[in-house]
Amino acid sequence: MTDITMPPPVDELAPEPPPSGPVVWARENLFSSWGNALQTFFFLFISWQILSWLLGKLVAEERNWDAVLTNSRTFFTFNYPLEQFARMWFSLGALIVAVGITLIAFGFEPRVRTSKIVQSTIGLGAAVAVIGVLTPVSGSWRLGLIAVGVAIGVVAWLAGRALPDGQTLPFWSLLVGFAVFVMVLVWIVPWGQNEFLDGEYIDEPGTVNITTKQPWTVMMGLLLGSFFGARALARVVPRRILQLAMIVWWVMGPAFLLFLVLRDPAFDWGYVLAVDIPIALAFGLGGGALLYWLTEPVRGEIARIVGALLLGTAALTWILAFFGVVSMLQKIRLSILFLALFALAAATFAGERSVRLRYAGIWMGFVALTHWLITGINTPSTLDIAAPPFIGGFALTLTIAYYVMLASFPIGALMALARTSTLPIFRILSTTYIEVVRGIPLITVLFFFSIMVPLFLPGEMELSELAAIFIGYTLFSGAYMAENIRGGLQSIRKGQFEAADALGLTTAQRTAFIVLPQALRVSIPNLVGQAIATFKETSLIAIVGGFDLLRVGNQTVASQPAFLGQSLTALFFVSFVYWVFAYSMSRASRSLEEKLGVGSR
Amino acid sequence: MATTHASQQRPPLWRDAGVLKWVVQIIVLVLVIGVFWFLSTVAADSLAAGGIEVDYDWLDGPANIQLSEGISTVPATMWEALRSAASNTLRVAIAGIFAATILGTVIGLARLSTNWVAQKAASVYIETLRNIPVLVLILLAAAILGSLPDLEGPEEGATDTRFWFDISKRGLALPRVFYADGFYQFLALMAVFSVGIVFARRQLQAKQDREGGDHKVGLKVAGITLVAAVIAWFANPVMGFLGSVFGGLSDAWGSIPRPAMQLVLSALAIGAAALFIKNFLDSRRTPAGLAKLTDDDYFRMIFAGVGALIACVMIWVVVPGLIGDLFVDGLRDLIQWFADKFGNGRGNRPIDAMRPTLSTGRFANYGPEGLTMTPFFAALFFGLVLYTASFIAEIVRGGVLAVPKGQTEAAAALGLSRMQSLRKVILPQAFRVIMPPLGNQYLNITKNTSLAIAVGMSDLVQIGQTIYNKNNQTLAVFGLFMAFYLTCSLTISFIVNNINRRLAIVER
Repeated sequence: MTDITMPPPVDELAPEPPPSGPVVWARENLFSSWGNALQTFFFLFISWQILSWLLGKLVAEERNWDAVLTNSRTFFTFNYPLEQFARMWFSLGALIVAVGITLIAFGFEPRVRTSKIVQSTIGLGAAVAVIGVLTPVSGSWRLGLIAVGVAIGVVAWLAGRALPDGQTLPFWSLLVGFAVFVMVLVWIVPWGQNEFLDGEYIDEPGTVNITTKQPWTVMMGLLLGSFFGARALARVVPRRILQLAMIVWWVMGPAFLLFLVLRDPAFDWGYVLAVDIPIALAFGLGGGALLYWLTEPVRGEIARIVGALLLGTAALTWILAFFGVVSMLQKIRLSILFLALFALAAATFAGERSVRLRYAGIWMGFVALTHWLITGINTPSTLDIAAPPFIGGFALTLTIAYYVMLASFPIGALMALARTSTLPIFRILSTTYIEVVRGIPLITVLFFFSIMVPLFLPGEMELSELAAIFIGYTLFSGAYMAENIRGGLQSIRKGQFEAADALGLTTAQRTAFIVLPQALRVSIPNLVGQAIATFKETSLIAIVGGFDLLRVGNQTVASQPAFLGQSLTALFFVSFVYWVFAYSMSRASRSLEEKLGVGSR
Repeated sequence: MATTHASQQRPPLWRDAGVLKWVVQIIVLVLVIGVFWFLSTVAADSLAAGGIEVDYDWLDGPANIQLSEGISTVPATMWEALRSAASNTLRVAIAGIFAATILGTVIGLARLSTNWVAQKAASVYIETLRNIPVLVLILLAAAILGSLPDLEGPEEGATDTRFWFDISKRGLALPRVFYADGFYQFLALMAVFSVGIVFARRQLQAKQDREGGDHKVGLKVAGITLVAAVIAWFANPVMGFLGSVFGGLSDAWGSIPRPAMQLVLSALAIGAAALFIKNFLDSRRTPAGLAKLTDDDYFRMIFAGVGALIACVMIWVVVPGLIGDLFVDGLRDLIQWFADKFGNGRGNRPIDAMRPTLSTGRFANYGPEGLTMTPFFAALFFGLVLYTASFIAEIVRGGVLAVPKGQTEAAAALGLSRMQSLRKVILPQAFRVIMPPLGNQYLNITKNTSLAIAVGMSDLVQIGQTIYNKNNQTLAVFGLFMAFYLTCSLTISFIVNNINRRLAIVER
């Protein structure tokens, strides 16, 4: 078709490909100079010694890993009653579904490079082989481990050579891989059936109990189902709505799971219909109408005056109730307080009709949720547990960590704003608070609150020890949160403030709509870092009396007659669980940072 | 013109931002004080209902407490118990800071190394240890130490039970290096010599600057210092006369009348406030006259004045006795303490060392000669060090990576060797980035020593808890906790800030 002649082969002109292969690699990376070779031998020797010592500890004869297998339920949920365990599975399922939808709503579906998977798999194979070499186990076990490791490595290597370069896999394939992995763990791996049945310790060979297999299969189904379901949903529903729904869920949802699902309050429906629902309706509709009226731009000062009046009323109800003059339901007092805050903010959110309707709608939703929650918390539980709290183990660790982060956020934001403001008294107050709290150890704060809060409470008020500890931890965490947010606030350029002023925004509007959103975006990496630190530091409640994951491992399991003195075994498992969660959080935060592109701005 | 005039009129009081912001601030301040007052009355009431009055009289009471280790394991008074416990806290903190810095630096540099094995080993260390809670690590260390074999007693008839190193269920034993009799005399003599050393250094540096080239100033100064140290090692009894000098000084200080001291202190407080206000006003002065002062500026000046006033009230009215005790008797005792460290008869090695031994009792244990870590101390120490080192390693790595590559290349272009460029170009710049977060880690170690309670080591928090469980003086004990930890924090941040200021780039 054409008579363009092909250029002559240039093979003989091309430069020699650089030599490659394991020997060259080793010469370049391990023995390039005598100093390098010395480093190689030194670090090989040290790693060899430490790893073989540690692995020896893991497989030593006095390790009884049945202590972990038998107590897996205790580790994660402590003494949550077995008859009600479906509630625990329901909560986990709800969380998993929420995770799946959130991933889609926020577009978190990074494609994964196959070369990376191949690399990690080769690394895994190498690790298994090294473990086989280093662990002091019997010959057949050692050979088996080495063979498995080498096999994994070789297969992955061959697969990597067969696959074309630069290929990527969609994110869902990772989720499927994870689900398959969990299925293999519960259906195929012969862990052995271990459990306490009526106080008797039973140990039989085989795979895990059917009571573990079935729920986990359902959970994995939910994970995949929610992910693909949300994908279909995202085609119909706008993403913004999905995102909003998920944010609301993550703020309120866990509380519902905790206080309504897991705790299972025994509602007295007659009372609920006669008292609770009318109060909620009155506040929701009445307050909504009031707020709709107040957010009209022509109201101006009136909104502030009404808000201040409501605030005064709220303060009065608390004071009167304290001196026992008028007794009023706590719920009503709280609702007046919240309504006052909403009314005070009304001028900031004033606007056209749809904006005002949304503001009133948010209030009604808020009332519905808080009233349901307060009623649920104040109703006795049906759970048959000797001593509160109703959750323990890893569930408690996660709950405390989550709520400390959530509750310390407003404290931190307020303190950061006060510290960066130009008002000297606010600045001094918040600086003192932040610096004092950051100067003292968490454990003294927790002790202080667990011991002193009962003394500080007036009259008949009572607070469980765990709640007192939670308050102390939140106040402590708030000081660190403030410093992280302050870092973000200081990165806002002066031009942003001036532009906001030029648009005629009020100070509150400028802070809420211009400054804080940008500051928070900048501080996300630090906040995630703090979340990981908070998660790890929840282990301190083991010292002050909560039965969290660490306390269960260190004390409960090690004091069971069947596993006396197995605290080291349990501690190894506990540290593994903490490690898995903290490590995956830090990995996730790294990819989140990349996605937000915070560093590249 | 009328419109401008109208806009310059002050708005009504309830809309005036200048008035409103002060009103709001004062309301919040009153609220905060009110809440504190309310809580403290409630607490005082409930304490009084239990028959407890918050005071510190119990500090001199008998202790009946057993400490796991420390200056005195069976203290006579509560105060002695707390002091001993606080010294345990400081021992762990200081030892931990040193060890974590060394380990963390090694690992951080290993992660930067071009060597594949070093890099991977360091990465695995960091990624593993910093994702496990420090409390879990401490408990793991305690459990592992507890699973070690017990110590065996010395063989029958053995006379020399000395050894170099041992680790067992009873803890760790190492050789001990300690200050001997002549230590302070040695220091005093070295202080005298240092004048000469500084002079010599200046001369050498001036010569190098004059003639150019590398005169190896650092090496020569190190040699001179070494020679001086050797001389001081043997000649330290020369400084024995300082004992009588300090003794005389202490007597003289003790005879200062107390009102005179109060007068001097209050003059100092007022003078400091006046100086602050003067400097502040000077800093606000522009060529066109005094700049317009903001509310904040007034507030600062008022704050300084009120501070001086409070100091004077404290000195003359509230605690005049304490001022005398602290500034007259306290300083006198401090000088006397120095006097006791010198003396004409003292003339020995400044530093000595001993190897650990085995004690022969009913249960085998380490003797008092060596440096012994109890298993509790060792568990806390290793947990803290292993955990914090992983963070320090990342800080060191980040600091070195923060130095732009152009700096290394520029140093190479100037003809500096690799060592020279590392020492004179890269490390000084990396330090600037490393120092602030490193200081934070030191604070964290100090605060995390309070986890000693989990392994039963007698640190301040554990002994404090024992005390308030006995006498219910919870508030008083927590006051002591706060005072101690805040002092530690302030000290560390003061040191770190000072170093930072020295390292800061001097900009034009």
